[in-house]
Amino acid sequence: MSEAAAKFTEDRQRLELAALSAPAVIFTVAMIAFPVVYTVWLGLHSFSSTGKQSFVGLANYSRLLADTEFWHGLWVTIALYVLSLVLQLVFGVWLALVLFHAKRLPGIVRSLFISPFMMPPVVAGMMWLVILDPSLGAANYILQSLGLPPSEWLASPVWVIPTVALIDTWQWTPYVALIVLGGLQSLPPSVYEAAQIDGASAFKTFQRITLPLLLPTIVTATILRSVDLLRFFDIIYITTQGGPGNASNTLNIYGFRVGFEFFNIGYASALMLTLTAIVFGAVLAFNRLRGAVAW
Amino acid sequence: MKAKAFAARLALALVAAGNGASVACAADFDWKKFQGKTVTFLANNNPVAQALLTHKADFEKLTGITLKVDAYQEQQMRQRLVTVMNARSDEVDVFMSLPSREGPQFAAAGWYADLTPMTKGAVAGDYDYAGLSQALLKAGTFDGKLTSMPMNIEGPILYYRTDILKKCGVEPPATIKDIEPAAKKLKACDANITPFVSRGLKPAIAYTFSNMLHNIGGNYIANGKSNLCSAKGKEALETYSGLLRDYGPPGVVNYSFQQISALYRSGRAAMSFESSNELRTVMDGGERLKDTALVPFPAGDAGQVPTAIGWGMAVSAHSKQLEAAWYFVQWATSPEIQKRMALQGIAPPRSAVANDPAYRKWIEEEPVRKQWQAALDVLAAKGSSEVGYPIVANPESREFIGQAVQDLILKQKTVDQACADADKALDALIAQK
Repeated sequence: MSEAAAKFTEDRQRLELAALSAPAVIFTVAMIAFPVVYTVWLGLHSFSSTGKQSFVGLANYSRLLADTEFWHGLWVTIALYVLSLVLQLVFGVWLALVLFHAKRLPGIVRSLFISPFMMPPVVAGMMWLVILDPSLGAANYILQSLGLPPSEWLASPVWVIPTVALIDTWQWTPYVALIVLGGLQSLPPSVYEAAQIDGASAFKTFQRITLPLLLPTIVTATILRSVDLLRFFDIIYITTQGGPGNASNTLNIYGFRVGFEFFNIGYASALMLTLTAIVFGAVLAFNRLRGAVAW
Repeated sequence: MKAKAFAARLALALVAAGNGASVACAADFDWKKFQGKTVTFLANNNPVAQALLTHKADFEKLTGITLKVDAYQEQQMRQRLVTVMNARSDEVDVFMSLPSREGPQFAAAGWYADLTPMTKGAVAGDYDYAGLSQALLKAGTFDGKLTSMPMNIEGPILYYRTDILKKCGVEPPATIKDIEPAAKKLKACDANITPFVSRGLKPAIAYTFSNMLHNIGGNYIANGKSNLCSAKGKEALETYSGLLRDYGPPGVVNYSFQQISALYRSGRAAMSFESSNELRTVMDGGERLKDTALVPFPAGDAGQVPTAIGWGMAVSAHSKQLEAAWYFVQWATSPEIQKRMALQGIAPPRSAVANDPAYRKWIEEEPVRKQWQAALDVLAAKGSSEVGYPIVANPESREFIGQAVQDLILKQKTVDQACADADKALDALIAQK
């Protein structure tokens, strides 16, 4: 076959490949792009309570900057994010080490350890709502049985954020642990053997070998949890609906209420796009970090 | 069989119909006119819809219409409705609506079909339009357009424990001013009992608070401005929040009907100000059946102005089969179906049903049911459907009422600060068109 004929066949094959995959590509792009473009369009419009629509340009975004509820929501979102993430990473690494070293742990116990994140968040929220009920819940019963004062948990403006963070930590620590466990299992045994020969203590081994080598895995877990935590909605909505007062009113909860309870779709879209930008920003920042700690 | 019996009763009613107009109307009426069609019903998965839908097969047999039910929890139902209506879609033919909440907003947006001509057109002989609660029909009428047909009547009432009050030597409160001393005495008498509980969850507060405000003699709007900082408004805010703060359960700011009913049913509350709809839940298990009494909320300076609302069935303005949809609405709000629902614990919005022998027999079986019906009679006669501000942005207005009450429960503001902040936000809402 001449060179020209071979090139022709190759071009034809490429064209056929492109034509065959085009519908799937177009469909996928449309499915991703349409909601985003539509939300951008909604954010540039104002919808009155009666459904009348008008183009307002960036007015929804300038309103957002002057909205104290937005800044409060941002603060709550960040506070909940930082607290939950730190707890989940610390306990997740700890749980992974326990599972990694306790090789004789029966399968059923291992399954129990990781079972919370398999539970639907709505079910988890309902369960914790009952447990933490200040009057009828088991949590205060246990505290009082131990001679400790009862707490108002989710009903206290001071304790609501730590309480929600604890619920999320209960649910998602096993997920972080599974990711870290995967990382632990892939670490080269030779470095541990060398450390053992050099007489390094268990703590020093962890501090100088395990933790640095695990960093890329921990950053991956951080990225995955960051996306979820910044968009945190379900458990908060089930347990507090943003209350008491507005103490747990995250940006996501605020945007949902503005859109679907007060029917202000334009402003809600601006809020949600801002939150999306924050999530993207966090992911990009952690991706850079992952590059920096790769080995 | 039930459908056949129902059809037979309807046929008898057609024959027996008294005045000429309704005979003419009834004579033309054919339940099978839309046989083969499909009507989509967006339902709130609450006890009212659950009771109604137990008879779904009867409707389909009677009319030949297929009823497609799209049921969600209340908030999710509204989400779906907002999406469908904003898209001007005909996916939903009939939906459940609370006129006291979203009525002005949905009416202004043009989402409701006007039912007025339908109630004068294709109507079965025994429908008895005039027998429906006129107050609820009025509450569902906006700018002269009837937007929904009432499915039930409900409102907050006071449940109290006769045994605990007797043990502590406390008389049931006759006025709002009697509640605080009664609660104080109950607290001193039995520290394990919550003396008084009502709604403390922010968006839920307006439902019960409105009753107290109106009984005290306050109103939400005066001269086009928010009126929470009036003397009566402040009195209502302080009384309601003070009762919950000093005599309510810990964590009351997260309490809505589920928590209140659970607390009362478990025997750990002496007085509970909660919806009449909760009777079935509260009496579940039978533990509270013999030690509970029910009354409308005690009178204030303005007497008793109870909150009385009801779910309504509305037809979507975007439906392409308004008449078939109306057939479903008509069947669902007919005297026969409302009687059947009443026997399932759904308070009927028709006095004729409330006087029906079978229903009366059910009521007479337990004293607490008699008291429940007596309280509902007061709601039907004197009730106000004003829950929150009577403005288009009613749902949002409930947020600011709830915020003011919570600020006081949590001692985060003085009453002057709380009402002033609420009035400022509410004036902006009132000004919105």
